[in-house]
Amino acid sequence: MIKNLIFALFLATTTCFSQNYTSYDWSAIPEHHKLTKEDLKESSVGILKKHIVEFKTSVLSPEPRCFETEHTITRVNDDKGIARHNTVYIPMYGVKSLIDVKARTINAKGQVTLLNKDNIKEVKNVEEYGDFKIFAIEGVEKNSEIEVLYTVEKEFDIFGSETLQSNYLIKDAQFLIIPGSLEYDIKAYRTNAEFKDVTVDGNTAKLLQLKDIPAIVEEEYATPNANKIEVAYQCYPTGQSFTQDMFWANVSNNVGSKFFPETVASQIESDLVLITEGKQELSNFEKASRVDNFIKTNFTIVKNNNAELTNIDYILKNRSASDYGILKAYGHYLKALNVPYEIVITANRFQFKFDPEFFIPNMLRDFLIYLPTEKKYIAPDRIENRVAEAPFNILGNYGMFINSDYNYYFHKIDQEDPNYSRIYRQMDIDFENEFEHVSVKEYQEYYGHWSETNRAVLTLSSEQGIKEFQDYLTGSGIEDKEIVEYELENTDINQIEYNKPFIVKSKITSESLLEDAGDRYIFEVGKVIGIQSELYQETKRVNPIEMQYPNQYDYTITVNIPEGYEVEGLSSLVIDKSYSSESGDKICKFESNYKMDGNKLVITIQEFYKSHEYDLARYEEFRNVINAASDFNKAAVLIKAKE
Amino acid sequence: MEIKLESMKRALFVLLSLPLIAFSQDFSNEDYIYLKRHENIKIELSNHKFDIAKHVSEQAQYLTSKKLYFANEVMHFDSFTSIENVEAYTYLPKFDKKINVDYIETKREFDNGVFYSDQEAKHFTFPAVTEGAITNLNYTEVIKDPHFLGMFRFGTYVPTKHAQLSIEFPKNVTIGYIDFNTEGINLDFKKESLTDSNKYTWTVDNLKGFEGEEGSESVLYYLPHIIVYIKSYEENGKVHNVLNDTKDLYKWYASLVKQIDTNALEKVYAIADNVTKNISTKREKAEAIFNWVQNNITYVAFEDGLGGFIPRGAASVCDKRYGDCKDMANLLYEMLNHVGITSYRTWIGTRDRHYSYREVPTPIVDNHMINTVIIDNDTIFLDATDSYVPFGMPSAFTQTKEALLGIDDQTFKIITVPTQKPEQSLSKITSLMTLNDETLNVSEERQLTGYDKVDFISDYTFKKADKTEEEFLNTTLALGNNKTKYNNIKKTNFDNKNSALVISYDLNIENYAKSIGGKYYVNLNIDRTLSQSNIDTKDRKYSKKIDHKFKKEFTTTFTIPDRFKASYIPETLSFEHQDYGFKISYSTEGSKVIQHKAIYVNTLSVKNKDFESWNDFIKSLIKAYKKSIIIEQL
Repeated sequence: MIKNLIFALFLATTTCFSQNYTSYDWSAIPEHHKLTKEDLKESSVGILKKHIVEFKTSVLSPEPRCFETEHTITRVNDDKGIARHNTVYIPMYGVKSLIDVKARTINAKGQVTLLNKDNIKEVKNVEEYGDFKIFAIEGVEKNSEIEVLYTVEKEFDIFGSETLQSNYLIKDAQFLIIPGSLEYDIKAYRTNAEFKDVTVDGNTAKLLQLKDIPAIVEEEYATPNANKIEVAYQCYPTGQSFTQDMFWANVSNNVGSKFFPETVASQIESDLVLITEGKQELSNFEKASRVDNFIKTNFTIVKNNNAELTNIDYILKNRSASDYGILKAYGHYLKALNVPYEIVITANRFQFKFDPEFFIPNMLRDFLIYLPTEKKYIAPDRIENRVAEAPFNILGNYGMFINSDYNYYFHKIDQEDPNYSRIYRQMDIDFENEFEHVSVKEYQEYYGHWSETNRAVLTLSSEQGIKEFQDYLTGSGIEDKEIVEYELENTDINQIEYNKPFIVKSKITSESLLEDAGDRYIFEVGKVIGIQSELYQETKRVNPIEMQYPNQYDYTITVNIPEGYEVEGLSSLVIDKSYSSESGDKICKFESNYKMDGNKLVITIQEFYKSHEYDLARYEEFRNVINAASDFNKAAVLIKAKE
Repeated sequence: MEIKLESMKRALFVLLSLPLIAFSQDFSNEDYIYLKRHENIKIELSNHKFDIAKHVSEQAQYLTSKKLYFANEVMHFDSFTSIENVEAYTYLPKFDKKINVDYIETKREFDNGVFYSDQEAKHFTFPAVTEGAITNLNYTEVIKDPHFLGMFRFGTYVPTKHAQLSIEFPKNVTIGYIDFNTEGINLDFKKESLTDSNKYTWTVDNLKGFEGEEGSESVLYYLPHIIVYIKSYEENGKVHNVLNDTKDLYKWYASLVKQIDTNALEKVYAIADNVTKNISTKREKAEAIFNWVQNNITYVAFEDGLGGFIPRGAASVCDKRYGDCKDMANLLYEMLNHVGITSYRTWIGTRDRHYSYREVPTPIVDNHMINTVIIDNDTIFLDATDSYVPFGMPSAFTQTKEALLGIDDQTFKIITVPTQKPEQSLSKITSLMTLNDETLNVSEERQLTGYDKVDFISDYTFKKADKTEEEFLNTTLALGNNKTKYNNIKKTNFDNKNSALVISYDLNIENYAKSIGGKYYVNLNIDRTLSQSNIDTKDRKYSKKIDHKFKKEFTTTFTIPDRFKASYIPETLSFEHQDYGFKISYSTEGSKVIQHKAIYVNTLSVKNKDFESWNDFIKSLIKAYKKSIIIEQL
């Protein structure tokens, strides 16, 4: 939708070129390719993925025409490979016409099945994605090759991008741009390969060719979708020179003029009293929190094509807005209460890495409001967030910050408070009824993103979801756990105090934590901290390390050893793993230890992650820290009668 | 690191506030409730043509502002229905203000299960919802085919204060109805004779919300609902049946089957001949054909008008190499009959629809199609949509269900799909264990048959995602602990449907045994099947569903290290119940400790009354799993 913000920038040009899309074709005699043994182990392998963007200008049409051709050849080796590639969805968003589409299957015996074009279905207005043409590939068997070739004419757009990497291996990926008479800028991400000048049908063109692009794999603590190899380009008529600054300034002016109102809408007056409850001496933080709470309990974000959802009068009357329009409402309430703010345009780091150096409208996806006096953010379209640090999936991405003078700057979106998210736990453990069962009395405080998530789950989930959450909050993975006491405090999602802890007081009992071994008992004390994540790595780590957010855990576990008994085998309770920065500071660690205090075994744990990003080259050290918690989860001690 | 886990107004208002006081049911802890959900079906008939309109009227209230997402409303329709006369608004009692819905959009959705469907939906969002807001929605659903009157759910995912279904129909029309799960609710039924029509009305007040539970049966097993249908009508003294009984349903199905494209069947026959050449017995021929369809036709579903009911031509399915359940059922039909094996197109509902053809003679009863052959008095159900089920076994999700076999234009037969015995899904696990200080080394082999094999292969093929083999096994088998290392992973008979799937691997489990005071405590139960299956009887509402019966047999041989002896081996523990049980026993033979463990589940559902007994089973199993052997130096 941000594309609407960019006004028309193009002019007529005059030269006429032959069209490449008419001459590009698949080979007359299809080939069943020979693959390596390794390739045959994959569910599917991309033999070719070629994307061609061609611009054409003519005297007849003042606007350049844009044709895009996609050509893929894919080998499918098993059922999963077939399921992954046997249906084709061609998005028609921004497409003027589908010029040609064809598909064929070449099976292992070399038999060719051609797509019957009558079987192409049209699907209108799919969710938020527009129209599609869809078809199923015909004649596919295991070890077949699926070849698809289509060309669309798109509405002319200065900006475009194409992802070249996928969740399967691609042996040959090509991106070809034939700019015709247009000026252009092009940039490739996450590859060292360079564009080559080529000539296509007498036209100069640029080609980026990549061999053997590995599958982008799902890994823990990673943002694989945002790490794919991608190409972005800008094309505009000759004689018009644009700088990146001009694009950004254009956005800044458009956004600024929309979200910083000159005067406050009169309709909100009666709301202001409800928001402030007549209180005069409110801090900017509290005012903003109250506005945020009010809007999120009185307005609804609507996802459809209703243009009125960005009109402030309509928004205030219907209390409905688009994810973009809702910023206008915030603008009016914040201005009315004299809270200074900036608009931030950024992206979800799990989807896009925001690039301040190159203007790509497709990456301008998420809007935040920044409160410069508080160094905090409002996430207007996220029902689960309230005024705080930036949402975790934005953290670390760059943002474009626009102030009320429509000036802008870029800044990495960091956490202002490094200790924002933490969990504090205190447990008291007793063995009851002659070691029949264990009881764990627990007091927990959750801060930051932890508390935000907990409140959101309790507010938004179904009854069943809340029930499952209770298991999580009382220590997951204890097979026969019985929850005897369970009390929550500060659960309201609408908070006005900064980082107020979410509190859990509980008591559970379990028989399975104790194992009866002859005349002794093995107590699996590690299990009381709940299941911990474990990082497996048989293959080389691909993605850079990015956690959800920095966080810290501080636990004190007190085990009361009954009179006449003693405890042995405490060595498994001592763990010390850490990862230090170059300056020598520990930036993540897991440290557990114990001491005996009379008949009490007191175990302390501290685990923290000061940053959400870690060096890929030091993955093993990071993994050791993560897995240390999982090691502790296996810790057990022996309890026996004193001799 | 922790694991983290979606005018009349005023009168109306007075009316609405009354029930809150008048009825005992307390909804004060709720966030959102339906004040009313009404449907009125009006049937008209002229010249053998039905005009059917369903008038829907719903009113809901936000008791808090927590779940404003309920403001998003969706009305589905397809080529058999249309949505008309939509009127929707939000009423704000606090301000006595009415705000109309002024924007409705028709959208489509992509569905994982159905590739192309003609289903569309009108979407809108109620404006200005907040605590106290009351939303109102009225619309008409025009039903274009008299076979699809559908069902009415008295309850829904949130509480309903007032639910009502009424049906008005000409006096020459006969209506059938059957209600489900209404025993515990106060369902009022009223028959009225109006001037030109009859009217039936069902009403119920103050129904709680019905929300699915993990691992329970489908919602239709416990949600109060009713199915209404047109049985027949009389014109000029003659009775014309619509869906009077199963015969009429079958007659309609048979008329659809007649529309199947039978062009170019010779292509299909050629494949059938080729697949069965050199095979002499009928059984083996049937198996060869079933395997061919299973292996060569990929599941891709299209639901397009009556095309959702009529199988596509067998030749076209063969050419395209894809199809949905009915396409595969019909392809099997053509291929099998061609080679001389009598087979039947078979309609069936999956376990999620627990209706009987005899009680519910409407298309709502089924949602699936398979093929049935009878060879030497042996009835074999063939469901090629399940790519991994062995010949001879029905797909797991059709067990216990009635199959409707189409014999000819007029004749059909109903046969119940038998539940497969635990022995048919047998897993045999053989483990050899050695100890190296606290590290346990295990060499293990698993032989899986029946549904255990089917589940493993389909999980391995589709759910493994981008995980490595080790991570997949670690998270699915969960042997030892989540630090268990897997080496030498081997799979045999992955593609061979007749033999047990054999998976073998070597495990290395660090810090597994406990060495304390010169003794080693070793727990031989690295596999803890069912240990997480305890039912929370406090909050649990509905019965527990089990996908298939199974049996697991473990033989574990632990080699005692040199210069050590086993100073303690646990006693035999067992639990016996006709539906489930286990036995774990230990013995010493020379330098080996041998553990035998057998676990069986011989039911497809654990009813609420059996929860205690089931939990006793799980509890005693966990207790037995906790037992370690102790070894110490000689």
